[in-house]
Amino acid sequence: MISLSKVSKHYGSFQVLTDCSTEIKKGEVIVICGPSGSGKSTLIKCVNGLESIQQGEIIVNGISVNDPKTNLSKLRAHVGMVFQNFELFPHMSVLDNLCIAQTKVLGRSQEEAADRGLKLLDRVGLSLHAKKFPGQLSGGQQQRVAIARALAMDPICMLFDEPTSALDPEMVNEVLDVMVGLAQEGMTMMVVTHEMGFARKVANRVIFMDHGHIIEDASKDDFFNKPRSERAQQFLSKILQH
Amino acid sequence: MYEFDWSSIIPALPFLGSGMVLTLKITVVAITVGIVWGTLLALMRLSGIKLLSLFATGYINLFRSIPLVLVLLWFFLLVPSLLSNLFNIPRSSDTRLVSAMVAFALFEAAFYSEIIRSGISSVSRGQFAAAHALGMSYAQAMRLVILPQAFRNMVPLLLTQGIILFQDTSLVYVSSLADFFGTAYKVGDRDGRLVELLLFAGAVYFIICFSASLLVKHYQKRKAI
Repeated sequence: MISLSKVSKHYGSFQVLTDCSTEIKKGEVIVICGPSGSGKSTLIKCVNGLESIQQGEIIVNGISVNDPKTNLSKLRAHVGMVFQNFELFPHMSVLDNLCIAQTKVLGRSQEEAADRGLKLLDRVGLSLHAKKFPGQLSGGQQQRVAIARALAMDPICMLFDEPTSALDPEMVNEVLDVMVGLAQEGMTMMVVTHEMGFARKVANRVIFMDHGHIIEDASKDDFFNKPRSERAQQFLSKILQH
Repeated sequence: MYEFDWSSIIPALPFLGSGMVLTLKITVVAITVGIVWGTLLALMRLSGIKLLSLFATGYINLFRSIPLVLVLLWFFLLVPSLLSNLFNIPRSSDTRLVSAMVAFALFEAAFYSEIIRSGISSVSRGQFAAAHALGMSYAQAMRLVILPQAFRNMVPLLLTQGIILFQDTSLVYVSSLADFFGTAYKVGDRDGRLVELLLFAGAVYFIICFSASLLVKHYQKRKAI
């Protein structure tokens, strides 16, 4: 479904990603972790072309992302993305947030879009908030709306860029619950997160990054029980200490 | 000791009123065209296309570095001959109003475009990313997501610029157009009551502009909540 081969990216002389390769099959859930500045967010943004790459190739559903001839908008319409800061559109109601791309990008009718939007709001437990504006919701609620907004496009896979990092601790679980549900339904997911509980529960594989390199790309059990690299061992012992 | 005599104001009110209508006409046209053209200039300046951004930068710097009176005079002198050449309109016909409107609109667009550019920049990059991630094109992201937020942030600045413009329209006296200031001057001159009429005109400008800026402040406060 998603394949990265020897992906490299630099800003001027600063190397952000170096030779990153991995493969994600349909229905797999991949958790990407690593210290801040390791390039994990950049990597996931390359998958739908929000960040460009200088070398290597990224293929999503048979389409080359970095080919200049590719219609990126068309590809992105079917790759869901959830951001650290939610990025709901603050000047639109919650329901309009869910409908706007359905109508303007996919060409669905307003009724069809609203119907789909309300179903997904119900799924994330927010159907009572359809008429509200994003600013009237808590962070956890906003992020659940953002997930519903991405799902409304019927994505073939979902990218999550630190979806719980900007949330108050008591709101993390309501968002993770939605994500666990998605994973269990067989959604293909790439998740940048430090929530190791989530990784243990639903991840098929864990990718560990440092300084722009993929250091470790292992099954969940291998990663948690016997990480090969010293760097990953240190990282795990630090974040699992408490 | 000078003795004030306000008696010439009341009978002149209809004439003064027609002057105010003209002032408002120029203001509204200049604001509307200025914002539309200013938005286009801002988009050109922000676009990655070098030629467009160079043109917009040049345009903005030019108009911001020239006194408004000069621009008005140029257009007052240029537009009639331009129109007569282009559309065969006789040179003698009165194009002062049109040339004043064109001059104000083009001049204000330079100022509006800078306000709009900062408004667009004030919307977070993440909003662009989110719009793109949903499959929107650059134009769709701008139109549906970025510009509506930018304009909402900019309303106070745009209104303030509009208030300044409203006052600046009095500069059309250089082409002896009968705007509010022009009519007041004419009445005062005719009746030998220039001081009274100009004091009256000043009071009217003050009341309108001050109430408008109070409204802007009120709007800002409400938005802050």
